[in-house]
Amino acid sequence: MTAVAERRPGGFSTAARVRGWLRNPWGKPRFLVVITWAYIIWSIVPVLIAVQFSFNATRSRTVWDAFSTRWYWGDPVDSVWHDPTLRHALVQTFKLAGADVLIAVPLGVLLALGLARWRGRGSGASNFIMLFPLVTPEIVMGVSLLLIFTQLFTFIHTGTVAQILGHITFSISFVVVIVRGRLFSIGRQYEEAAADLGATPFVALTRVLLPLLTPAIVAAAAVVFAISADDFVISQWLSSGGETDTVPIRIYSATRAAPLPSVNAIATIMMVCTLIIVTLGFLAWRLFTSGEKKTGTAAEDFGTAFRL
Amino acid sequence: MARGEIELTKLTKEFAEVRAVDAIDLHVPGGEFFSLLGPSGCGKTTTLRMIAGFERPTSGQILLDGSDVAYTPPHQRNVNTVFQNYALFPHLNVYDNIAFGLKRAKRPKAEIRERVGKALELVQLTGYERRKSSQLSGGQQQRVALARALVLNPAVLLLDEPLGALDAKLRKALQIELKSLQQEVGITFLYVTHDQEEALTMSDRLAVMNGGRVEQVGAPQDVYEDPETLFVADFLGVSNLMEARIVSTGTAACRVAVDGYELETRGTELDVSGEAKIVIRPERIELEPHGSPSGANRVPGMVERVVYVGSAIQVIVRAATGEALQALIQNTGAGNPYEQGTPVQLHLPADALRVLPSGIGDVPSLKGDEQVEESAAAS
Amino acid sequence: MYKRWLWPSLALPGTVWLILLFVVPFYAVLGVALGTVDPILFQPVPIWNPLEWNVGWIQEALTRLAPGGIWFDVGIRTIVYVALSLALSLLIGYPVAYYTARHAGRWKGLILVLIILPLWISYMMRMLAWVNLLQSDGYVNRFLMFTHVLSQPRDWLGGSSSTVIFALVYGYIPYLILPLFASLDRIERSHVEAARDLGASPWAAFRTVTLPLSKTGILGGAVLITLPMFGDYYTPNIVSMSPKTSMIGNQIDLYFHGGPQPTLGAALTIILAVFLTFLMAYYMWSIHRAQRDVGAVGAL
Repeated sequence: MTAVAERRPGGFSTAARVRGWLRNPWGKPRFLVVITWAYIIWSIVPVLIAVQFSFNATRSRTVWDAFSTRWYWGDPVDSVWHDPTLRHALVQTFKLAGADVLIAVPLGVLLALGLARWRGRGSGASNFIMLFPLVTPEIVMGVSLLLIFTQLFTFIHTGTVAQILGHITFSISFVVVIVRGRLFSIGRQYEEAAADLGATPFVALTRVLLPLLTPAIVAAAAVVFAISADDFVISQWLSSGGETDTVPIRIYSATRAAPLPSVNAIATIMMVCTLIIVTLGFLAWRLFTSGEKKTGTAAEDFGTAFRL
Repeated sequence: MARGEIELTKLTKEFAEVRAVDAIDLHVPGGEFFSLLGPSGCGKTTTLRMIAGFERPTSGQILLDGSDVAYTPPHQRNVNTVFQNYALFPHLNVYDNIAFGLKRAKRPKAEIRERVGKALELVQLTGYERRKSSQLSGGQQQRVALARALVLNPAVLLLDEPLGALDAKLRKALQIELKSLQQEVGITFLYVTHDQEEALTMSDRLAVMNGGRVEQVGAPQDVYEDPETLFVADFLGVSNLMEARIVSTGTAACRVAVDGYELETRGTELDVSGEAKIVIRPERIELEPHGSPSGANRVPGMVERVVYVGSAIQVIVRAATGEALQALIQNTGAGNPYEQGTPVQLHLPADALRVLPSGIGDVPSLKGDEQVEESAAAS
Repeated sequence: MYKRWLWPSLALPGTVWLILLFVVPFYAVLGVALGTVDPILFQPVPIWNPLEWNVGWIQEALTRLAPGGIWFDVGIRTIVYVALSLALSLLIGYPVAYYTARHAGRWKGLILVLIILPLWISYMMRMLAWVNLLQSDGYVNRFLMFTHVLSQPRDWLGGSSSTVIFALVYGYIPYLILPLFASLDRIERSHVEAARDLGASPWAAFRTVTLPLSKTGILGGAVLITLPMFGDYYTPNIVSMSPKTSMIGNQIDLYFHGGPQPTLGAALTIILAVFLTFLMAYYMWSIHRAQRDVGAVGAL
């Protein structure tokens, strides 16, 4: 290490400036910037192109012609609106996601409350079982659910009911993880304060704990909707064909056959719905937690809450 | 002269819109225990981080033993740092933490073993080689951080509030230890702290910083007894401030008028006229019983509040001039001679009164409440 | 303050649900895999009593997976695909997570949202997007011909291993980046500064401090994408549809959807599940070790 060769009082040599800039220990390495933005473009632009072709005026998904809403409702045969298979797929997807949210969220919230505070025999086993659906590959779950409905619980046939049961099964754990994270971060002090002020356990639970859990419950509902709408494997394994096929199943089979831009259109509709619901979940989360001490930006908090 | 001479010339650091460090000049001769003292946000840590190499100065020079290191990356500077939270590597044990720098310098194995052993001996942690940092107490972690920095024989050791995370008692013990360690190794210690008592007890000299600027540099005694600005007077310990009108000034003595009472104060070289402020430390105010012969620099008052702080008794007196003044009297065990509501006479000795121009460094609000209590308890 | 039965009773419905629809179904797979097959109808006949279990089908499946067996190639291919996809994902994902955690500054929130965004876009939608792009007259071929990399369109979707690996990376990488980001974001800046202060060059500081401290994130992200990749069958189906690129998941899919022998499929599912359990156990063990190394667990 040698000193700067030329030093003027109160100033710097250009060489020192340039070398300092290059060696700036906290500067952003240029190649990382390039990789990160290239990755983001790579991960998002193909989807935008797929959205673009859902508005193509011709039957091609590769050669752009002109803007048209033909594949949404214009085409009398093949548009999402007029093709019954596509329309049914959309309905089925919403049916499954809606039922999933309505049943899995309450079950998961109760389970999270129970697991967070229950310190007795059986809590360990219950906790252990809860974690497994998160790491079990979907195909293993698909096979096991198919076999249970065809071999043991034969009173439930494959189709909508079986699909809903399957979706709830893999959704519960996500709800538990999100709600328990929030329970952990709010601690026990509020309940204890409520009890101290004379609240009965029931009041403490419903008037203090549940309102505090609202952001997590809203976030969990958004997440459950998203993963249910995105699910392909469980829906496919428990589908009885025809009207029980969901949007992801439609996309899957259409992509493998001779596809039309109407597939892009239905995929776009589904994507927009999911993004709206997740954004609403995010805004609700922000609204409910706005007065609280922040550890990071809202986006980071939200990211943490959704890190599963 | 010993190694480790630091000279900062017009050193400036701007973050976006804020000037964290504003063209400071500072000279620290080698082998000195030098403190940068100031409230949070005063630029002391940024200054230290620029000397360490973690922040690039916006402009200015950092001369280390005569050569400008302002743009040298941290790993090529002959300075080492003890971090506020120690920053011990959690994945390495004590031995590997201390050996980290020697390994980077590619020293032979035998030498590393010997030097790490010596460093552990220096901080009295021999036998702790295999411990993880999470298995050490706060004080032990602090010593490992010291050993890790000192093992590289730096010219300057930078310490960023290294005692901040420890409890009061341990802090006191380590203050003494750190000071004797510095005398033993003989290198420059640049110590950053917001704790005025810590800076006063440990430093050879210190600089009081505020708003990115150096307010005053000097030996602890000079800075405490002879503050040059209102900020310094206020930040270092408790000061009683009074509005005053200058009657006459001089280098030997000044005369000021405070609400009809004319007081004599120490001489000043500062250019003051018209409205000014006078300061006096609580421990320098003498309380005399009501009815004592009145004389120069004496003002009547009434005891407003009495606070027992252990080693001393704090008496708040409403002076006839209107100000509430705080006086500290030694707790001799004889009980409190001044009841609330008793009339007393205040003696403000001329050599304890100092005139300061209004407006310079006039930000007493920066001082947190806890500092008042701390210094009151400490005095 | 609460009655002792309150918390277990809240946990009860969810627990019962998971036992009935997660644990019991798994037992059903065992029953079928270790059962017999009706010789006339070729229908599986499950055996529910563990004492009567018949390991014949498991043995049959293992023989087919062993060297020389007809599934050997599929097994090896699955492992190679997953390993290569994981390596590629780490190679791309680590720099992205590192940049976002350490250097993104005021862009951090935006970049994080853009990284999370693909997680909320249906997997099938994202695969569809690439199938569109990779058509013989799609943008990829047109771009490569325009830049004279190719002289004629290449058939990307006709059974190309590289396309399948590429699609796996594209599909799963967001799940890797998030835990990587979380672990890199947790590393205190002062640790890296301490390394630099003690004489480590930027690269040495990365190698000796940042990398070891992000080990839990690497392991967590790796297991998060490896487990589902081992069970994937739809990705190779969508982008290749050729037996040349079929994975274990495709084999299971085949035996249930169209194949005549669900029993063999169930046996293969059991083998896959056992294999993944070992992988998971290895992960738990190494994460425990990594956490012990950084002193996160049991600080004495």
